[in-house]
Amino acid sequence: MNLETFRYDNRIVRAFAMATVIWGLVGFSAGLLIACQLFWPDLNFNLQFTTFGRLRPLHTNAVIFAFVGNGMFMGIYYSLQRLCKARMFSDFLSWLNFWGWQAIIVSAAVTLPLGLTSSKEYAELEWPIDIGIAVVWVAFTVNLVGTILKRREQHLYVAIWFYLATAITVAMLHIGNSLAVPAGWFKSYSIYAGVQDALMQWWYGHNAVAFFLTTPYLGLMYYFLPKAAERPVFSYRLSIIHFWGLIFIYIWAGPHHLLYTALPDWAQSLGMVFSVMLVAPSWGGMLNGLLTLRGAWDKVRQDPMLKFMVVALTAYGMATLEGPMLAVKSVNSLSHYTDWTIAHVHTGALGWNGFLTFSVLYWLIPRLYSTRLWSVKLAHWHFWVALLGMVFYVVPMYWSGITQGLMWKQFTHEGFMQYPNFLETVLQLIPMYRLRALGGSLYIVGACLMAYNLWKTARSGKFVPEQEVQAAPRVAHVPTPTGPSRAWHGHRWLEAKPVLFTALAFVAILIGGLVEVIPMYLIKDNVPTITSVKPYTPLEVLGRDLYIREGCVGCHSQMVRPFRSETERYGEYSKAGEFIYDHPFLWGSKRTGPDLHRIGGKYPDAWHYNHMDDPRLTSPGSIMPRYSWLLTQKLDTNALPARLAALRKIGVPYPPGFENGTAQKELQAQAAKIVANLKLGSVTNAPSDGEIIALIAYLQRLGTDIKAAAAPTPGPKTVSVSAAAGTRN
Amino acid sequence: MSVLVLLIVASLAMAGFFLAAFIWAVRTGQYEDTCTPSMRPLFEEPVLGTGAGVDGQPELEHSSRPKNK
Amino acid sequence: MESAACSSGFALANNVQLMPNRAKRAVGRPPTLTRVNGTSVSPPSAECGEEVELAVAAARGEPVGGSRTPRRCHHCGARCGRAAAVSEAGLDFCCVGCRAVFALLTENGLGQFYALAPNPGMRVGQSAATSSWGFLDDPSVQRRLLDFSDERQARVTLDVPAIHCVACVWLLENLYRLGPGIGESRVHFGRREVSIAFEPARVKLSEIAVLLDSLGYRPELRLSELDRAGNRPVPGWRQRHWLQAGVAGFGFGNVMLLSLPAYLGLDSLSGPWFKVLAGWLSLVLALPVLLFSAADYWRAAWLCVRQRLVTLDLPIAIGLAAIYGQSVYEVATGRGEGYCDSLTGLIFFLICGRLFQRKTFDRLAFDRDYKGFFPLAVLRKTPTDEESVAISELAVGDRLLIRHGELVPADARLIGGDALIDYSFVTGESEPVPRRAGEHLYAGGRQVSGAIEVETVRPVSESYLTSLWNNEAFRKPRDDERQTLTNRYSRRFTLIVMSIALTAAVFWLAADGRVAMKAFTSVLIVACPCALALVAPLTLGTAQRWLADHGVFLRNAQIIERLSAVNTIVLDKTGTLTAPGPGGAAWSGAPLTELEQSCLRSLAGYSSHPLAVRITEMLRPFNAGPVGAFSERAGGGLQGRIAGMEIRMGSMPWLREGGTLRGGPEMERAASGETASCVHVAIDNEYRGRFVLQGALRPEVDVLIGRLRGSYSLVLLSGDQPREMERFQALLGSKARLEFNQSPFDKLNVIRELQTVGGGARNVMMVGDGLNDAGALRQADVGVAVVEKVGSFSPASDVIVDAAQLARLAEVLSFSRRAAQVVKAGFMVSGLYNVVGISIAAAGLLSPLVCAVLMPLSSATVVLFAVGATRRLALRSFALGKSHRSGRDWAPVGPMECSPVLAEKGNLS
Repeated sequence: MNLETFRYDNRIVRAFAMATVIWGLVGFSAGLLIACQLFWPDLNFNLQFTTFGRLRPLHTNAVIFAFVGNGMFMGIYYSLQRLCKARMFSDFLSWLNFWGWQAIIVSAAVTLPLGLTSSKEYAELEWPIDIGIAVVWVAFTVNLVGTILKRREQHLYVAIWFYLATAITVAMLHIGNSLAVPAGWFKSYSIYAGVQDALMQWWYGHNAVAFFLTTPYLGLMYYFLPKAAERPVFSYRLSIIHFWGLIFIYIWAGPHHLLYTALPDWAQSLGMVFSVMLVAPSWGGMLNGLLTLRGAWDKVRQDPMLKFMVVALTAYGMATLEGPMLAVKSVNSLSHYTDWTIAHVHTGALGWNGFLTFSVLYWLIPRLYSTRLWSVKLAHWHFWVALLGMVFYVVPMYWSGITQGLMWKQFTHEGFMQYPNFLETVLQLIPMYRLRALGGSLYIVGACLMAYNLWKTARSGKFVPEQEVQAAPRVAHVPTPTGPSRAWHGHRWLEAKPVLFTALAFVAILIGGLVEVIPMYLIKDNVPTITSVKPYTPLEVLGRDLYIREGCVGCHSQMVRPFRSETERYGEYSKAGEFIYDHPFLWGSKRTGPDLHRIGGKYPDAWHYNHMDDPRLTSPGSIMPRYSWLLTQKLDTNALPARLAALRKIGVPYPPGFENGTAQKELQAQAAKIVANLKLGSVTNAPSDGEIIALIAYLQRLGTDIKAAAAPTPGPKTVSVSAAAGTRN
Repeated sequence: MSVLVLLIVASLAMAGFFLAAFIWAVRTGQYEDTCTPSMRPLFEEPVLGTGAGVDGQPELEHSSRPKNK
Repeated sequence: MESAACSSGFALANNVQLMPNRAKRAVGRPPTLTRVNGTSVSPPSAECGEEVELAVAAARGEPVGGSRTPRRCHHCGARCGRAAAVSEAGLDFCCVGCRAVFALLTENGLGQFYALAPNPGMRVGQSAATSSWGFLDDPSVQRRLLDFSDERQARVTLDVPAIHCVACVWLLENLYRLGPGIGESRVHFGRREVSIAFEPARVKLSEIAVLLDSLGYRPELRLSELDRAGNRPVPGWRQRHWLQAGVAGFGFGNVMLLSLPAYLGLDSLSGPWFKVLAGWLSLVLALPVLLFSAADYWRAAWLCVRQRLVTLDLPIAIGLAAIYGQSVYEVATGRGEGYCDSLTGLIFFLICGRLFQRKTFDRLAFDRDYKGFFPLAVLRKTPTDEESVAISELAVGDRLLIRHGELVPADARLIGGDALIDYSFVTGESEPVPRRAGEHLYAGGRQVSGAIEVETVRPVSESYLTSLWNNEAFRKPRDDERQTLTNRYSRRFTLIVMSIALTAAVFWLAADGRVAMKAFTSVLIVACPCALALVAPLTLGTAQRWLADHGVFLRNAQIIERLSAVNTIVLDKTGTLTAPGPGGAAWSGAPLTELEQSCLRSLAGYSSHPLAVRITEMLRPFNAGPVGAFSERAGGGLQGRIAGMEIRMGSMPWLREGGTLRGGPEMERAASGETASCVHVAIDNEYRGRFVLQGALRPEVDVLIGRLRGSYSLVLLSGDQPREMERFQALLGSKARLEFNQSPFDKLNVIRELQTVGGGARNVMMVGDGLNDAGALRQADVGVAVVEKVGSFSPASDVIVDAAQLARLAEVLSFSRRAAQVVKAGFMVSGLYNVVGISIAAAGLLSPLVCAVLMPLSSATVVLFAVGATRRLALRSFALGKSHRSGRDWAPVGPMECSPVLAEKGNLS
């Protein structure tokens, strides 16, 4: 057999490596900024583009999709070629993947501060970008499968399985969750409403964590850890078993993000059960990793890369144990909406993803430049600084989470709320927030050290863009003594298999996509409708869009859970039926500020006006930023028709033709009423066409519908009529 | 809760796909040997041309590793 | 680099452990030594055994070989004698061969080999390439060897026992760089196999073999094993079972998913359609599980029906069918969502249980193969003399002396003497076949006339020899009526279970239809056969291992059951109670010339009879030329012609048979009053005198007897004169029965008689010398052969006891009795479990799913109990005695994938 000579493509690896470092720094810094805003509200320089609400999604996206995403591609593109003994399937796709991905990140960095967001966590990007993501991802998948097809090594190393799982599952999740009806270029409404949207969102949200932050990195771990430790993985069989375990279970753990919400009870319990079951496969990976190092601890002492690896694995273990714990209802009732969640995710992000990425970078760069690491000492420094930073981040967050959770539930002996004023519970946390910021900055300092170290390393060596290697062509055969002959005849069939796979993959994704649209219109929805629940008025719709634009959902939930501590504080707990017109749902996942579902009618319009102008006027010490621009900016009513039309398309019963004409009039009328109210509240200079008016309208509407069930309906008559009409057709 | 149907069917499709993968893997003897494959990733291909480490020292690319002192 | 140094040392330590013996000698660095020079020695990897140890650092950092003293071969790590070392590029090599390999590798860019592990190579030496592999190109041979071949390319899978570390894997998988026409090659580390694709047009198979050989990876061919369907581990079942497990797991997981909502209570939010959908989806998901995953049960059940048998699979099959039927009915009629969750769960757990069971069985079988070896030893010719070596030490080309009645340990070529080979336990053909010098003898043949000299042509396979032991040819006359405990129990068990299930069903039908189904199925399912099936093999297997470790080797595990039943012990005197070794042997009669002495010695040397052995030891060796016309009669004596002398030695009658004896008063006295067992000698029909052998008791035998006489009725059989009657009567106690002047045939009769009187109430154990009492051993319920250090394989026996361990016989007996009790206890436990489980199930209070979970649990508990108890037992019983073979941990080493090959090569011993 004549040997085949081919080249490994190191350029693409280097490109992704650079992107990883750069975006990492960006993401971390964004995080630090918004962390500081929590104890220093003016840190947005009174700019609307830099408020916490708008920057938080930027931070999460930058860290998850830019930093981890590029890191993942870097590792995959390096290891896959070597594991398959083959160059990547197509250089074009490789670079499409790279530049496409960077373009997406940049556009995210632009749109999010502009407030163009779908408000769905980790899926905030608007629909044109979503399509871009889909395209790039398919390119990556094809490239991956293609490489696997033309591999020269016939065994698929376990890492490759993890990569495959990532590619296919993420594709399906992304499509599934991003289904939305556009209303203009940078505005769309999720086709799902309320409870359904919530379920879908967290099914996605959770699995994004699973298949974007976990499986690919487990794959990297299975490749780079043995390489660095220079010994095979502890138990290959264990790795296989826990892969299949993970694959079959993880997909179902989603609902645990919605415990005690208006989600069907059994769905919550389901999420709980499966989340708890998850501990096994997750720990399979962690133990396998750590045990691989047993006996090599002296190496760990010397090699910073292994140090990072160890911490990463430990963090993974902690996070995967904590996750299911948080999914247990009783724990969740305390932890949910508090900083505990923040601590949890950052154990994973900083520890597992961050440290693993660093470790891979330290291993990879010297090899790409065929040299040694410029300074091992500096790397050690990075390690200790970053570790310290992590501790300073995570510990205070646990502390603040538990503190606040307990304060919310605290009752006096007389049975009154110990801390009726939400702000009290917030002010308690300020010191912790300061510490957290310190931790964050330490982490960033570490990352800078790494960047410098790697840069110097690159300078000291010579880049090897293409590594030429030789290998024998793969003879497809099954090395089984049971029947070599059978194996041989099975050969073509076997060859054909991976092709069939790609086919299957896309069929699966297709099914995923189609199946998710069709039934929407086939099956009669049976969320119990509350007759008094009406669609939002045009003004309220625009107000809601502002609420989304400003990312209020990042700090304010809209879901009163059925606990006395919450009903006392906020009022009647939320019912599933109240959200049937919520495209998208805005339940939120964190209460930096109080829940807003029952805010409607709680304060006079003037209060809201002043509060938006400067929160510290109405509630001294508040850490909410000023939204003064809402008072000055004019409300864009031109968008109204498109938005109403879009909403009708997905089942909100606005009568046909409502958007042209009637809607405008109703809007004016309601605006006028609010302006009047403001005058009563001695706010004289309120413009009737200011954005603030719409927002107030929305806030005052929130959670009032079921009250209306008792009292006569306040909503504009026309709407109620039209709504009735809508429900008829 | 029509969304449940989507989730169920989608997940089943997913699971079905992975089941197929699993079957393929077992049938083609991917898991015959759960021992040697764990060693293969550790090997670096010898770089061509350079008579790889005539003195038993692998060439630069492979010997590159963090200084241990 | 300290870490490097240590791990390198470790790697070497492992080479030492894992290489076949020849190589072992080459890399002569004792593990202890190497462990010293490192602080952290990395423990074994979970699957691949400790051999997978990398020390890239070592090879990179230091000039290998140089830094460590004494100088070691850069290739194989063997000590280079100061003088012998061949140096090149500042590196030392122990021999030209090693240097050649080094050159070959480095020229082809494979220098990294030396970076993967320090001195990873195999000792090559000069001899390597000389061995000819030409026969590999013979088409007939290739037909057997090649996995596949067409005009374009071929693929062969070779055993390479020398594979021992990562470097080996790497080198062998880069083979294509070393020769044209060689393609992808893949190593299966566990099986120590490499399978190589090559182009017949460009490279001959023999060339590949030579290449491997010259690299030090000498392939081991197993043509004859291929004929015998190979002893290569066949993972076929594993593949299928994993698949079934996977499918079942998939079905289970998803069905659970669809059923959980029902458990948790569907609320208003999810409407009726959901229930229906879930029901039908579950049915669909359960179908493949039922048809594919549970296929074995259907097959087994069908077999039962066809053969009118009752096995444990039957109830399970019925149960499964019942549940699915029920579910379909319920879903179709919309009465409920069925029991698919239980069904799939049940099947899933059943399969897991079965996988577990299979693994255990495999492990047992595998342990029997490699723990079951007994210290077979043979006489190896050396230039000056003979030495006795364990057959595992034998190498191809050794010259062996096979004496009358001994076994040909490996395929060999006959060199001297005329052989009469009895292949009865290879082929079952009882008629011995004559073989002439130069002819080929197959392993397992048994020489039955005189002694022969052979040269081995292929390595020894101990496991093969062991397997012979269980050959049909040696089934006991009374084997048939004997039933193993398991069979007896399981049959009853099944019947009982099924009747209970039926009654329960009938009862409930009267009371409540739905419960009836549930009760019926859950009874069938909760009844746990696995436990029953596992207890005996596990307990006995463990016990067998322990005994083997203590020098007592059983033909198979069942023997323990029989040992436990023994109540009568028949002892052979000479060579059993009395040792051939230490007992003094004195010559009384006219002094012998040196020549005569050596003649006698040679003649005696042809026999393995204890007395002959002692005489041989007593006389000084002196070359007297070959023995002609040798013949031996058990219970009689030997005769043969040496240096022109016609020599007979043995009993008086034997001497007389040779013709009228001439001799003086000396002879008369000898004929009349004999004071000790003696061997008379006549040369050319002239009576010359006799060797008087004091039958000295083996050490501790008196203690042993003391122990036995209490609880067993003892019988002593001896071929000798009733001289020492009193002495032994005193030893064995007044009740004991003593018989003297017993020919082997008499002995056999005595035993048969013992067995028959009292309606076969007596279970007789015969303890005797393997070869001379073969008949008796075979007749006895348990035949125990006592073997000397130079053990002679006696397939007729059930138990082979290392003579040194004879004193332990009492412990062995009591141990096996206790072991049998453990088995019974195990049955009790599982029985108890079943009683509880079944009664609850019959009451209709148990959901099939719970049963499904309980089942594997119960098996697990039972298994743990069995093994644990046996182990504690063994520890107690054998606390005193140190293990028979040192360095053999009783727990199997490593998982199945990686062990058997080691075992087969006997490297672990």
